[in-house]
Amino acid sequence: MDYRVDSTREAQAGGVTSLTRAVRVVAVCSILVLGTVAYGAPGAARARAKAAESASAPVKTYGSSAAPIKMEVFSDYECPSCRSLYEQTLRPMIADYVSAGKVYLVHRDFPLPMHKYGYEAARWANAAARVGQFQNVEAALYDNQPAWSVDGNIEKFIAAAMPAADFKRVQKLMEGCTGAATASTDGGRMLNVAQTARGCSLDPYINEDRALGTRIPVQATPTYVITYKGQRLPAGSGVVSWPILKQFFDSLLRQ
Amino acid sequence: MSKDARGRFGRYLLMAGRLALAVIFLYAAYAKLKPQVGMPWSIASVNTSLSMFAMGVDSYQMLPTWAVSPFAHLLPPVELILGLWLLSGFGLRFSSVLSTLAVCGFIIAMVSAYRRGLTISCGCFGPGEQIGPKTFIRDGLLFLPLSLAVTVGAFLVRRKPGEPAVPATAATVQSAE
Repeated sequence: MDYRVDSTREAQAGGVTSLTRAVRVVAVCSILVLGTVAYGAPGAARARAKAAESASAPVKTYGSSAAPIKMEVFSDYECPSCRSLYEQTLRPMIADYVSAGKVYLVHRDFPLPMHKYGYEAARWANAAARVGQFQNVEAALYDNQPAWSVDGNIEKFIAAAMPAADFKRVQKLMEGCTGAATASTDGGRMLNVAQTARGCSLDPYINEDRALGTRIPVQATPTYVITYKGQRLPAGSGVVSWPILKQFFDSLLRQ
Repeated sequence: MSKDARGRFGRYLLMAGRLALAVIFLYAAYAKLKPQVGMPWSIASVNTSLSMFAMGVDSYQMLPTWAVSPFAHLLPPVELILGLWLLSGFGLRFSSVLSTLAVCGFIIAMVSAYRRGLTISCGCFGPGEQIGPKTFIRDGLLFLPLSLAVTVGAFLVRRKPGEPAVPATAATVQSAE
C-alpha cells in the first residue's frame, strides 16, 4: 500500500527524483550481483580444488576393491616387524591372492614416534602414491630399510624406484615436507611426530590413517584388520607367515 | 576349629579353586572356538576361528611353520577337555598338574615374546588382547598361584578310599540319615 503511495508522489514530484531512485536501484542491484559473484567464485574454486584433491588422493592399495577379502595393514616403514611382514607375507600374498582377485590389500600409515624417519618415509610414500608409484616405493622403502633408517637418506631410494619424470613430480609434492618430520623429545617425553610436522600437504593423508588406526585401536605395528563380506574381524598384530595367513583366507573363502 | 571342620573347610576351598580353574580353561577354549561375528556355529566357522588363532600362535615366532596349525587346532580342544576334567573332580592330582604345566607354558611363551620385543596379541582368550604387564599380572599372579594352590591342595587333602573328592552337602547328609 505504501509503495503505491510513494510511487504516485514521486511521479508527481518530477523526473529528477525518478532518476535518483533509478540510480539507487541500479547501484543496489550491482552491489548484490557483484557480492554474489565475489562470494560464489571462491566457493566454486574451493569445490574444484577439493574435487581435484580427492581425484589425486594417494592410492595405497593393491588389487580390486571388489575382492571378497579386504586386508588393511597399519604399518610404519621404519619398523622391522613391518618389513618382515611385507617381505615374508605381503609380497607372496600380492603375487598370489591379490592378483587372483581374492584379496584387496590396503596400506595404512601408522608411523610411530619412536622411529626417527618413519614419518618422513610415509610422506615420500604418499607423494609417490599421488603419482601412481606407491607399490614401487613401498617395495623400495622396505627393501632398503636397514640403510635409510640409519642416516635418513630416503630420497635416493625413492629416485631409484621410479622414472625420472615421476620422481620430479614427487619432489614437487615433497616441497615443504622434508626436514620437519623427525620425532622430537620434550624433557624426555616423546612428542607425536604429527605435532612437529606443519605445512606439508601430504600430512593430512598420513594423519587420516593414524586417526583411523587409533579408533581400531592400533597398539603396535604391524596391525592388520581383515574384513570379509563387509564384516570386520578382530585386529591382529605382529608378523604372520604367508602359509598360515593363506590357510586363514582359504577357510574364510570356504564359508 | 576342630580337625574335621578344618578338613571340610580345606576341601571346600579346593573345590572353589578347582571350579575357578575349570571355568578359566573352559572360557579360554570357548573364546578360541567360537565363530567370528556374523558367522553361525558350524564346523567351517569353528575351523575359521582356529585358523585365526593359528595366526596368533604364529606371531609368537616360537614354532616352525609346519607345527603352528596343528598346535593351534589342538590347543583349544585340550583346554576344553582339561576344563571339563577339572570340573568333574576326577583324578584331580593329574588334571591340576597338567593345568599348572599349561599355565606355565603360556607364561613362558608370553615372557619370551615380550623379551624379544614382539608387540603381539596374547591370544589367551581370543584375539585382540595385547601382551604386556596386564597379561603377565593376570597369568602370573592370578592363574598360576590358583593352579599351584589347587595342585598342592589336591595332594594335601587326603581322602579315605571310596570317599568323593567333593564333601557331601548338608542335604545329602540328612537324606542319608
